[in-house]
Amino acid sequence: MSEITVEARGLTKMFYDESRGEVRAVDGIDFQCRSGEIFGLLGANGAGKTTTLRMLATILKPTSGSATVMGREVGEEPEQVRRSLGFYSSSTALYPRLTARETIEFFARVNGYAPDEVPGRVRELVARFGIEEYADARVEKLSQGMKQKVSIARTVAHDPPVLIFDEPTVGLDVLNALDMQRVIGEFRTQGKTIIFSTHIMSEAERLCDRIAIIHGGALLACDTLEGLRTATGKRYLEDIFVYFATDREDGT
Amino acid sequence: MGRVPRNGVAAARRSTEVIKAICRAEFTMLLRDRRTIVVSIVLPLFITPLLMFGSRWVQERRERRLATMDVRYAVTGSAHELAHDLIARAAAADTAGLLLLQTATSDPAQSLAEGELDLFVEALSPGEAWRDTTERDEISRGDTAAVPTLILHFREDRDTSERGARMLRRHFDELRRAHRVEMLESRGLAEMIGFGVVERHDLAGARQVAGLHIGRYLVLFVMLFMLSGGSVVAVDTLAGEKERGTLETLLTTAASRADIVAAKHLVILAVALIIAVIQSLNFLAYVALKLIPLPQGFVLDVPPEVTALIFVLLIPLAALVSGVLLLTSGYARSYKEAQLYFFPVLLIGIVPAVAPFLPGLSLRSAAVLVPIANIALAIKEVLVGRYDWPFIVAAWAVTAAAAWYVRRLAERVLSTERLIVPTVGESGQRSGEAVFTRRVLPAFAIMWAVFFIFASNVEGRMDLRIELLVNLVVIFFGGSLLLIRMHRLSARRVFAFRPVRAWVWPLVAIGAPAGLLAAAGVFRLASLVLPVPKEMLEAFGKGLMPEEIPFWQLVLFIAVLPGVFEELTFRGTLLYGLRKSLHPVPLVLVVGAVFGLFHVALFRIVPTAFIGIVLSGVTLLTGSVFPAMLWHALNNGLSIALGHFELDLAELTTLHYAGAALILLAVFAALWRIRTPYPELRTSRE
Repeated sequence: MSEITVEARGLTKMFYDESRGEVRAVDGIDFQCRSGEIFGLLGANGAGKTTTLRMLATILKPTSGSATVMGREVGEEPEQVRRSLGFYSSSTALYPRLTARETIEFFARVNGYAPDEVPGRVRELVARFGIEEYADARVEKLSQGMKQKVSIARTVAHDPPVLIFDEPTVGLDVLNALDMQRVIGEFRTQGKTIIFSTHIMSEAERLCDRIAIIHGGALLACDTLEGLRTATGKRYLEDIFVYFATDREDGT
Repeated sequence: MGRVPRNGVAAARRSTEVIKAICRAEFTMLLRDRRTIVVSIVLPLFITPLLMFGSRWVQERRERRLATMDVRYAVTGSAHELAHDLIARAAAADTAGLLLLQTATSDPAQSLAEGELDLFVEALSPGEAWRDTTERDEISRGDTAAVPTLILHFREDRDTSERGARMLRRHFDELRRAHRVEMLESRGLAEMIGFGVVERHDLAGARQVAGLHIGRYLVLFVMLFMLSGGSVVAVDTLAGEKERGTLETLLTTAASRADIVAAKHLVILAVALIIAVIQSLNFLAYVALKLIPLPQGFVLDVPPEVTALIFVLLIPLAALVSGVLLLTSGYARSYKEAQLYFFPVLLIGIVPAVAPFLPGLSLRSAAVLVPIANIALAIKEVLVGRYDWPFIVAAWAVTAAAAWYVRRLAERVLSTERLIVPTVGESGQRSGEAVFTRRVLPAFAIMWAVFFIFASNVEGRMDLRIELLVNLVVIFFGGSLLLIRMHRLSARRVFAFRPVRAWVWPLVAIGAPAGLLAAAGVFRLASLVLPVPKEMLEAFGKGLMPEEIPFWQLVLFIAVLPGVFEELTFRGTLLYGLRKSLHPVPLVLVVGAVFGLFHVALFRIVPTAFIGIVLSGVTLLTGSVFPAMLWHALNNGLSIALGHFELDLAELTTLHYAGAALILLAVFAALWRIRTPYPELRTSRE
């Protein structure tokens, strides 16, 4: 049995929204992730996926509950937690006036990679992601696909054991989206823990070892695809999702 | 992955690595941003000296033109010969090169008005009456009875006219003075001259005089350079990062908030200092090249040790300025918003830098506690050779502490979720109850400003009844209704129109006089800190209760209407707006304090705030505005009655006040026992 790397216990986040007042964006969710696993957070837009991941990445503080990454509490050792993870999101961007190489080097250094090993690590990542040709071009000059590769390279620049991918294929064309899925699959084989959020059912079906269905801030189900099929009697993930979401809305 | 120690050498080394990496990346990006470099460094290098050079060139050209212009003049009046003689002597004595040209005219005033003349001299014989004219320069008004009088008619809105009149006036004065001395000496009365020519003997050396001038302007200029130069990089460093989405990327790295802020602070500080130094050197270079001439006798000679001390003094100033820029950038959610904030920051920032211009203000004063102003004063004193070391050190420490505090605030901004994550707390809704809760205090601040402006402008000039009606009905009640309508709220709920238990009314009847007496005690206590002259109180009482207003009208305008409308405003709208934001105790204190602030006379604030607190408490315990209305009206009505019968509560003893306070407490205890709590209050669990 592989080790538990990420654990959320009753994780809750409340916001004050001008139009709605107090909002429970995440409502007491529990889950565990293990090394060498792709853990999918499946939910519609606004379900609470990004808020959950931001709490794991220590950008947001939980209102109640707790979470650990590699055994460290997000609220107590935020810097150590962040050192153990790489965060990739469609909303996080790159510095436009740095080159691809400088970007990878920068993120390796600020994430605490041993300074004398940084040049070697940068060379390795540049070769691995096939960005040699444009490694010294400024990011602002790169195409979307090139930027995506640089973004992934900077996410893993410090070789973290846990990787968070928040809706990573949003805005990508089909080929780039497939490439992203391939890369994520490779990280799993390296034994990393991957938390992958998406609202695209086919992606979750294809990639995830376990899927957590999140809706209205609550975690409604968490199992393998087979387990979810057995529990609901539905074959397709779309139907499974609707099954749980409707149940929730009906209050049953 | 090995555990990294949080303290000690390893943690410090890691912090240094992170700060170095962020600084290097920031500088790389800055240097690659050509437009920023050109706008913030290259352009000012030419523009500032060019502006100074250009303004001087224009000034000199103007002087030359004016010096060669003819001043067309005419002389009128019975003493015209004297005037001609004096003008001729003035022209001969003048070295400015102004050419006086006599011009013939039948109506000098008309000619002056039409621009055919630049000035004319009206020369009156002794005893002659002044001509009625609106534009004249008076000469020797006191001598009109015994000596001739010269009146200079000119127009200040015309350069030649103003300059000619000024020149003639100066020479006439000189000639008159010389004439007096000559007359006294010729009659052997030289001792009546009084004293000889006053000569100036400046004990300050040229270096000290120059030091004073430099000291006055130095910090102001350095601040301007740093604020304008630093803002260019500051706006990009946090607000720009938020807009691009790179801040979230950075915040998900292992870099601590403190390290990120330290690095960005250093970058802004370095850029601000570099720009200030470049600009200063640039200025000195132009001075050395004599493209910018210094005033005559100005000695620009600052010894190296003084320069070093000034630099040391400027370090906390630069840290504070760059910290404020960083904080502003962090507070803004976009590039545009940050640019919007920088202009007021610049204006406010330079205010303390003008401290050296204030006459008589020295570092050895309370000014040493004002950041920026203390550094500006310290530098001025150092430049004139005054080294008040304890205060110089204190000034440095105070400004450094302010810089440190601002940096801590910037760190806090990076942990403020709504500022770093764009979607948190965002909503397109601009009205509604939740929005009202956030906006009620700013709305009352606006209401206060309107009330204050109105009160300051009409006080004593408008009938008291109309003034009260405008305050109560238009500003208070109108403002409340506007808020209710804007936020689509229920007026009945906001105003707390709810029935109350029957027992509340007798308790109010007992409580109101006790409250009034207790408030008088509070006033006596406040007077120990802020004594109020008896005359002021009497004047206020008379102003509030003019004798010409009938008693029943006083009751209506001063007791009943305030009881209704002030309660609807403060215990209705304000209390409703804050009920979810504050716990009950702070809620009654805040509502009471705001109520006190609306009674703008300083001595009234404390007792009215006390009554406001009492009335807020009554509203919270009864859940309704009606008991507070009655209590308020009774309170004001009793005050009128006391005034009417010339009874003064301030003359009572401590025992009376203590007794009243006890009765008040008993009334509140009774209200507590039969309470109908105000709905939706914030509870202690939240």
